Amino acid sequence: MTDLRKISIDGQEIEVDGAMTILQACEAAGVEVPRFCYHERLSIAGNCRMCLVEVVGGPPKPTASCAMQVRDLRPGPEGQAPVVKTNSAMVKKAREGVMEFMLINHPLDCPICDQGGECDLQDQAMAYGVSNGRFSETKRVVDDLDLGPLVNTTMTRCISCTRCVRFTSEVAGITQMGQTGRGEDAEITSYLNQTLNSNMQGNIIDLCPVGALTSKPYAFSARPWELTKTETIDVMDALGSNIRVDCKGRGVKRILPRNHDGVNEEWISDKTRFVWDGLRRQRLDRPYVRQDGRLRPASWGEALGAAAAAMRGRKVAGLIGDLVSVEAAFALKQLIEGAGGSVECRTDGAKLPIGNRSAYVGTASVEDIDAAQAIMLIGTNPRDEAPVLNARIRKAWTRGAMVGLVGEATDLTYDYYHFGADRAALAGLMDRAGEYAQGKETVVIVGQGALNEADGAAVLSQAMKFAEMTGSKFLVLHTAAGRVGAMDAGCVTEGGVDAAMDGVEVVYNLGADEIEVGEGPLVIYQGSHGDRGAHRADIVLPGAAYTEEQGLFVNTEGRPQLALRAAFPPGEAKENWAILRALSAELDATQPWDSMAVLRRALVEAVPHMGRIDEVAANEWNRVPLQKPAKADFRGAVRDFYLTNPIARASQLMAELSAAARARAETAIAAE
Amino acid sequence: MGILRTILRPLIWWDSQTLNTQFYTWRKGQRVGEDGEGNVFYQTRDGKRRWVIYNGEAEASRVSPDWHGWLHHTFDEPPTKVALQHKDWEKPHQENLTGTAKAYAPPGSIRAGAPAKRSDYEAWVPE
Repeated sequence: MTDLRKISIDGQEIEVDGAMTILQACEAAGVEVPRFCYHERLSIAGNCRMCLVEVVGGPPKPTASCAMQVRDLRPGPEGQAPVVKTNSAMVKKAREGVMEFMLINHPLDCPICDQGGECDLQDQAMAYGVSNGRFSETKRVVDDLDLGPLVNTTMTRCISCTRCVRFTSEVAGITQMGQTGRGEDAEITSYLNQTLNSNMQGNIIDLCPVGALTSKPYAFSARPWELTKTETIDVMDALGSNIRVDCKGRGVKRILPRNHDGVNEEWISDKTRFVWDGLRRQRLDRPYVRQDGRLRPASWGEALGAAAAAMRGRKVAGLIGDLVSVEAAFALKQLIEGAGGSVECRTDGAKLPIGNRSAYVGTASVEDIDAAQAIMLIGTNPRDEAPVLNARIRKAWTRGAMVGLVGEATDLTYDYYHFGADRAALAGLMDRAGEYAQGKETVVIVGQGALNEADGAAVLSQAMKFAEMTGSKFLVLHTAAGRVGAMDAGCVTEGGVDAAMDGVEVVYNLGADEIEVGEGPLVIYQGSHGDRGAHRADIVLPGAAYTEEQGLFVNTEGRPQLALRAAFPPGEAKENWAILRALSAELDATQPWDSMAVLRRALVEAVPHMGRIDEVAANEWNRVPLQKPAKADFRGAVRDFYLTNPIARASQLMAELSAAARARAETAIAAE
Repeated sequence: MGILRTILRPLIWWDSQTLNTQFYTWRKGQRVGEDGEGNVFYQTRDGKRRWVIYNGEAEASRVSPDWHGWLHHTFDEPPTKVALQHKDWEKPHQENLTGTAKAYAPPGSIRAGAPAKRSDYEAWVPE
């Protein structure tokens, strides 16, 4: 179906798909074309006019290369390839003219602008601008918008590229932003001065080519060239978004997305982007030991000695939290199981089958959603559980995919067929399964809300049966970043968390803050933040947060990804594997690794697919036997999007966003 | 007045008064009053010139506003005769301490006795 066309760009003849634009063809030929409004993942607007090129034989004016398809170019009189010039005198003059028009109303406040140093307009003015301005009149002034606590606006800097409008309406699926007016009166505005109601709004900060939209929490705190950039993996949801963590000194200053077509494209959620203020609040920075009912500061030797004394000869259970890397989970499993105890990572009670990777990960990759013609969501609210994945589903929907939902009906930013909210609706799907799914690319996505109740195993079996009947690919959407990795490493106990905790004397809690440990057992808590777990603990061992140590994280589709260290743990806190290694020596069962590299080698030996970083291993389809579920409605796994883990709960900004979201939900109900 | 001070007197012009000023004051000066710090104020018989002889270091900011006004002919009468009205929110006069050991150092300054404790994170403290 490809319609290859020859095209000559600056004398270089190449063959490209006729559906490509000239700008894309130029990129394929390695020729750089300046642009402001064009963005690979957004629709084409063609309103900045910066990408003008000369088309020989075409109209006698420059052409906007982002909006002109190669197949629309006229060939030469003898059928020669159409000729495009990007470095002719006409193009140079056109670009200088466009740049001059842009700078007419752009304030020259780069020294006080947060975009300074990473600004497209700054860079391109250096490359294509003229040295002096001819405009001596007053510049236009535009009132700033209030877009909420995340996005700072300075609208006089806006060059009306409309990337923010296109992102919010196309990818984020909200309708609050738009452009009004014509010519000099054109303004980006929010509808009725509303703040943005999206958990992906932070992306418009990255998209804005100038400093009109900047980050409010990061305002005036650093310049881009002062920051140490570390490419790592996010743990706020189970998607494992690729991120870049920027640090100044020891503190994380901001988090930006990285491009990964298979995972997060180039978007991240607001929780991922703005959670960093939680990384410096409520930190555990020294060990504590409970004495006479109160926690008192202790030295590492004292705390480890107390932990070893408590664990020796007792029945121990290890709980693995949601943000724990595979290495730490593996090391804890070795330590606890060596002492005759049991470990468990499904702390929310999810009924994920042990060892059956097709049932706890699935067979679909995130990329399969793009090509899907029908998507069935079962017991999940992807908008809260993985906003970036939700944007992918929305993208499939805009391309014509049908979306069905069994579960709580909420605003998912796209239309869906709601089959019902209870288990009966899931069973009812089976009857009609053959009608609309045969021969299509289809994906079934099951959420944790469907699996973490008492009849989770039955719901899983029903969902897998449905996937099998319709020939769909199957994806389990997790909410915990560390869950799949810990399941892969075998940190599970037959019978789940209840069986692991049954009659236990000592609980070793590795960052599991969402679980209530009752009175009775002695609790050793190892984690980064003083949250519920630390309050209940009898011995507190301070560990590193996700930006402060290396680690493997396996995302919801089963893709192992390597997170790197961006900063150091605060105070006396240590990396998690090192604490477990030190404790194992106290227990006279010294673990055979002295470095992360040796530990990872041992892990890869035990779980081979951990060695294949960034590869989604294919899983053998192995359907669990069909069971009958109970009678109940599905509930979402995420109660409050902004407060799902200890780091987010320590963040003041997340608390503010959570309160704002609650207030918005209440006014929406009142208005109805 | 110690012996050393007597010997040094012609040299230490910044302390109290010089010999020349003392002679001039003895010849022309008419004592007007003295402030709380022991600085003595004089004028000529016709009242055209007014001056102060410091009790200690000759530091202009040691003269309080009351006497400063008289010294600079803002008021005709010295504060011993017509006291300057003070508001109840006014603080007592203090000389300029800049450059001395008693100069103000904000909290966190390295000149402060105990520099403020700094941390790039907030530690959790058990209740």
